Amino acid sequence: MNYGFVIDNRKCIGCHACTTACKSENDVPLSVNRTWVKYVEEGQYPDVKRNFQVTRCNHCANPPCVKICPVTAMYQRDDGIVEFDQEVCIGCKACMQACPYDAIYIDPDTQAAAKCHYCAHRIDVGMEPACVVVCPEHAIISGDMDDPESEISRILADNDVTSRKPEQGTAPKLYYINGNENALDPLSTEPLPDTFIWSDVIQPDAGKQTTPTTSNGAVEAKASTRIAGQMVQVAYNAQHEAPWHWPVAAYMVTKAISAGIVMLLALIWGTGIGPFDPLTAIAMGIVAHVFIEITSLFLVFDLEKPELFLTILTRPNWDSWLAKGAYILIGYSVLLAVWIGVEIAGYNEVLVVGSLIRNIFLWSLFALAAATAVYTALLFGQAEGRDLWQSRYMALHLYVQALMAGAATMLIASPFFGWSNEFTVAVSASFALALIFDLGVCWLEFGSNHESKIAAAAAHEITSGRYRNLFWIGSLLIGHLLPLALIVAGLFLTGLAYPVAGLLALAGLYCYEHAFVMAPQRIPNS
Amino acid sequence: MSGIAKKLNRILKALSTQSAAPPDGETNVAGTALPQFDPVDAVPEKVEMTQVEHPDGRMSQYPPASKWNDWVEWDGRHWPKKVARRYHLVPTVCFNCESACGLLAYVDKTTFEIRKFEGNPVHPGSRGRNCAKGPATHNQIYDPERILYPLKRVGERGEGKWKRVSWDEVLDDIAARMRESRAKRTDGIMYHVGRPGEDGYTNRCIQAWGVDGHNSHTNICSAAARTGYYLWGGFDRPSPDYANAKVTLLISSHLETGHYFNPHAQRIIEGKMNGAKIITLDPRLSNTASMSDVWMPTWPGSEQTVLLSIASFLIQNDRYNKAFVKRWVNWQRTLEAIESGELPVDFHVSRNVTGDFEFEQFDEFLKSTYAEFTFERAAAESQVPVERIKEAAEYIAACEGRLAAHNWRSASIGNEGGWQVTRCLMFLNVLTGSVGTVGGTSGNSWNKFVPKPHSTPPPNDVWSDLLWPPEWPFGHYEMSFLLPHLLEEGRGDIDVYFTRVYNPMWINPDGFLWLKHLRNHDTIKFHVAMTPTWNESAWFADYVLPMGHSGERHDLMSQETHSGQWVAFRQPVRRVALEAAGRTINRTYEANPGEVWEEAEFWIDLSDRMDPDGSLGIRQWFESPYRAGELITVEEHYQWMFENSVPGLPFKAASEGLSPLEYMRKYGVFEIKAENYEPFENEVETDGIEVDGKQLKGFATPSRKLEFFSPTMHDWGWRELDYTIPWTLKSHVHPDNIDIDKGEMLLLPNFRLPTLIHTRSANAKWLYEISHKNPIWINPIDAERMGVVSGDLLRVETEIGFFIDRIWITEGIKPGIIAMSHHLGRWRLQEDSGVNPGMSNLVKLSENEKGEHQLNILESSRKWDTFDPDTSRIWWEDVGVHQNLTHAVHPDPVSGAHCWLQKAVNVRKAKPGENHGDVFVDTNKSMQVFEQWKAKTRSAASHSPDQTRRPYWLKRPLKPSKEAYQF
Repeated sequence: MNYGFVIDNRKCIGCHACTTACKSENDVPLSVNRTWVKYVEEGQYPDVKRNFQVTRCNHCANPPCVKICPVTAMYQRDDGIVEFDQEVCIGCKACMQACPYDAIYIDPDTQAAAKCHYCAHRIDVGMEPACVVVCPEHAIISGDMDDPESEISRILADNDVTSRKPEQGTAPKLYYINGNENALDPLSTEPLPDTFIWSDVIQPDAGKQTTPTTSNGAVEAKASTRIAGQMVQVAYNAQHEAPWHWPVAAYMVTKAISAGIVMLLALIWGTGIGPFDPLTAIAMGIVAHVFIEITSLFLVFDLEKPELFLTILTRPNWDSWLAKGAYILIGYSVLLAVWIGVEIAGYNEVLVVGSLIRNIFLWSLFALAAATAVYTALLFGQAEGRDLWQSRYMALHLYVQALMAGAATMLIASPFFGWSNEFTVAVSASFALALIFDLGVCWLEFGSNHESKIAAAAAHEITSGRYRNLFWIGSLLIGHLLPLALIVAGLFLTGLAYPVAGLLALAGLYCYEHAFVMAPQRIPNS
Repeated sequence: MSGIAKKLNRILKALSTQSAAPPDGETNVAGTALPQFDPVDAVPEKVEMTQVEHPDGRMSQYPPASKWNDWVEWDGRHWPKKVARRYHLVPTVCFNCESACGLLAYVDKTTFEIRKFEGNPVHPGSRGRNCAKGPATHNQIYDPERILYPLKRVGERGEGKWKRVSWDEVLDDIAARMRESRAKRTDGIMYHVGRPGEDGYTNRCIQAWGVDGHNSHTNICSAAARTGYYLWGGFDRPSPDYANAKVTLLISSHLETGHYFNPHAQRIIEGKMNGAKIITLDPRLSNTASMSDVWMPTWPGSEQTVLLSIASFLIQNDRYNKAFVKRWVNWQRTLEAIESGELPVDFHVSRNVTGDFEFEQFDEFLKSTYAEFTFERAAAESQVPVERIKEAAEYIAACEGRLAAHNWRSASIGNEGGWQVTRCLMFLNVLTGSVGTVGGTSGNSWNKFVPKPHSTPPPNDVWSDLLWPPEWPFGHYEMSFLLPHLLEEGRGDIDVYFTRVYNPMWINPDGFLWLKHLRNHDTIKFHVAMTPTWNESAWFADYVLPMGHSGERHDLMSQETHSGQWVAFRQPVRRVALEAAGRTINRTYEANPGEVWEEAEFWIDLSDRMDPDGSLGIRQWFESPYRAGELITVEEHYQWMFENSVPGLPFKAASEGLSPLEYMRKYGVFEIKAENYEPFENEVETDGIEVDGKQLKGFATPSRKLEFFSPTMHDWGWRELDYTIPWTLKSHVHPDNIDIDKGEMLLLPNFRLPTLIHTRSANAKWLYEISHKNPIWINPIDAERMGVVSGDLLRVETEIGFFIDRIWITEGIKPGIIAMSHHLGRWRLQEDSGVNPGMSNLVKLSENEKGEHQLNILESSRKWDTFDPDTSRIWWEDVGVHQNLTHAVHPDPVSGAHCWLQKAVNVRKAKPGENHGDVFVDTNKSMQVFEQWKAKTRSAASHSPDQTRRPYWLKRPLKPSKEAYQF
């Protein structure tokens, strides 16, 4: 059994019956949609056409939403239907990031992820999906593609079909006859107009006009300023909110601080660059631990169903880097706590901590801290809906950012300690090197060509679009150049230059992460 | 940090969670709570589904009718948790447009709440499928702002103060007023219907009351199209056989709206997939136009020229069906008219040796008369590329008698003289011989079946001048939208005015004049609004009586959806399910939410109380055919019809061991004829016409032929050939009358959306979520000229006022024309009462003593808190602008249709201080425009050939006696 859909655009009249039938059958609340009809108008009067495209979950053969789901709430049935379990879902929204099609939403009633589930509850008793039954034109065809005699198999054998974004490697199983390129590809239309043909357009972050790119290159002008000429405009579409917001950016910063502190301490003491100092170890260890706890709190807070956060440990999906990451975080924080305990015991002479034991601790912690810093790249890499996050530089970037953030935090803390010169130099040099290295990684990330136009569009949002101030002023100026200048100045001055540099760098890091988290979510996937 | 608080709250809740107890018996919460359904232990069986075989070879599956009385299904809401529900599937008929598509209501067998509406697979018109409005019926039933009980006005009209009253009180009060009126006069009671949703039931009641009191909405809808069709063939609507057509020619948007959208759209695409070409005339890129092979964006009013150029192409090239024209067109009468001078054309006719005319002369007459209609002229007038007209003409010429053509509103209702659009359109059907053929176009009356009731009151001897003023003897039908103007002129008054699923102040042009008379106790003395939902006019009524939606009422309907005949039975589904479960229900309001009733039963009780002792001769028509002298029940009414008036139904029912009523309760529909082609060729005993030696049925015209030349038009004073034969008439929005350089434009204000129901969608959240605003469509060329960009406000000045709305820039509209959907811009006067806050603007009405009126939006739509969490999720703000208020009335001098297209005398960017939704109207100007249009008429009083008010053969709902026609 392998269920799929064919949408026959020769027949679809754009009547929206499928939309309301679905709302009715599955009790779908207002503000979210499992299926909708996108309208795209193209041409120049009188050679104009309005294209209708039934748009929904593609029930991919290789569904990224299933892979990323940390608790196997999103799953693929043996018959190929991609199904979800609203009671298991913890509301982490990772599936929404993984879906390149805007097919998944959080149900405001259940707080769980939901989407078209092929009316599996009907299929299981021999009925067809509600949209198939209601469609006045039989423009929606469902059925078993493994059965060569089925209607859908015959149609697929007889017709050329297209699908949405096949290049994502998801193997979508919803096929369009006469698919329209401008409707299939959300980036080939003009920027969102101020209104749709008969419904409001919700402008995200009202006031901040977006300037996305199109496949033909950057279109800087607002749609509304197009004068007579070839039109390619979206006339109707379902609208989607960004699933992740500041808590995710904040989580990346606090995680980097914690991991960075530990990595830096391990590097300095493990290699013997600076002399071990138990008070610093205990104090900074506690600081690192506090930040990893805050990190976990951000993660739990960002869940739509925070009360279910333990599910991630009790029914982990070992394919998901969200689940793996949770275990890394736990392993890291447990080991860190043990080490802190050991050092406290050593400091109080309850036990003796030998250098071998300490080095084993330090390097194990280094490994776990590095994993803590870097696993997010693998998690973001599973977010197939956000091409920019698939960047090959992201792991490196996270690693460097962690060192920078760790060093920055140590600099902020430095006035409270009487650190040796070697230690201070090591920390500040690491800080400066990390900043410079990070600039290089930024240049790699944004200065070079992107692997896809979706990634390019997101990068464009960061460097030239609505996040450009965060990027140029927040991240580059405040987060890199000013701290570097202060470090240089600190060579001649005493006082607060280093701590201020650290604070600025952390602020800059947040700006960067915010832009990096938000921008790809602003690129429409449908 | 409300987010944090919310999440903490969730965690705390999770710790102390207990789910709400499922209901353990019958509930009835519509309008007060979300429906609840009872989980059952049963498991859905895998049964053989009902396979509906579609013409394209596809099968779709439905629960088999044998299981409808006990159907178990998983609830999708809880899936993948398997929660089974047990339903009684009760068939009913959708009430959201006139298509009468079948619905199956899923009624929970424990709570008797309705879970959903799906399609009825045995319905021959809709064939198990529906449009977006079908499933949305559920929204209407569980609408949080439903009117659940009869309301009586306690403050001033329009003050918004209401008192809940009992049906008993309502019946006594209204019946007394009707009795009093009826005792004095026979034109004091008026029933004004927007959406009938039934065939003949209420008309029979009005007839029984002995009054001339039926008023409709037809003259703002289809009057012009009806006139054109009726003059041709004695039927007033087309019934095209799209599925078998070779060419589908639409002056309409039948793939998204109109009569009969869903059934027709199915068949149009079916034809298309079989190779049919679709040709659409529309200045706006409708969804239909976009699906067409040929889109002709004609300048409004040029449609006749385009159609006649195609006709001329067929004629000049001898590519028309001469045999059919010779057999069925009144060509001899036409030649006679030329001979006698009735038809003043420059053409000489002569008779042959036997004194007869030869068909060749008619052919020559056509050739010479229509020669002026060249493609080039059509292209110039319509501003459509000539290639498109030629391409369309070629397709039509090659249609082989399979031309399915349709016009309902669009150009015919838009333009002065628009009735000629359907004459010219039908001319193409006639020329191609595509009349009643497979793939051709039939008359509606051939395919619509209205069964006779147990008794029919005789026609009354009364004529109401408020309904049928003498100026419009050809009106199709009542001059409904002029009611306030006629009242203003002092032509009469109304004792008891029923509005029924009708919002006259909102939907008609010149709404402020309606407002004036809805508030005037001298002209409209008593107003009873019968409505399933709040509307702007009901707000000014004396009683608001809640009537059921689909699934809450009995009606019988038939529509000419294709070449076949069927009747469908709308049912109060809770009542049916409750009765099946053994409960006794005496009145439908006992089963409906609150005390929502149905008209069919209401009329019986009302008529009974109007004439309790039978002295007015009314009660006799409401007595049971089964129980002598006793009041009929609504069930008996239909039972009698099913037993006696629906051919084949008793037999079919018996074959399943059911009574006819049981059969209709079970299936909700009965197919009388699966095919019905060329009925005019049927042989008859009497009242036919002799053709080739046989008595054939012919057409319902005086000549029994298709009337190319209309003697009736000629006899009633419309003697120019522009009126008597298919010809062009100059529209009031002809390019000559619109000077774009002076800032004038043409406003196309009456197009519809696939998702909305005239003015009745504001209780359907799923529909409003898709479509809630009506921005002004404008071509980029015009936008550039005016210096406006998408989302800017435009001020549109009409003959009598102005309004302000946002724009939607699109290449899909003809330059020089702006267009707005007619559905949107609903409003309410009170913060928390009236039309739903999420679907209406809160507005302020103001006026001065000079007759100037204003409407201003105080607040756009908003979220509001109810038992339905969805009302707190309203995410849209713009719910449109009420443009109709600013439309002057344009009664067509012939058809009486309101010519919807408006000359926008000035269109410009709004200035600071001019706000979205502002409306201003000077009602003095309204009356001036009314006078101008009235002056175009040729009154029956001065033009009737026989001192009657209207040609008797023309259709009139509730035809009075012949005597009543006399002046």
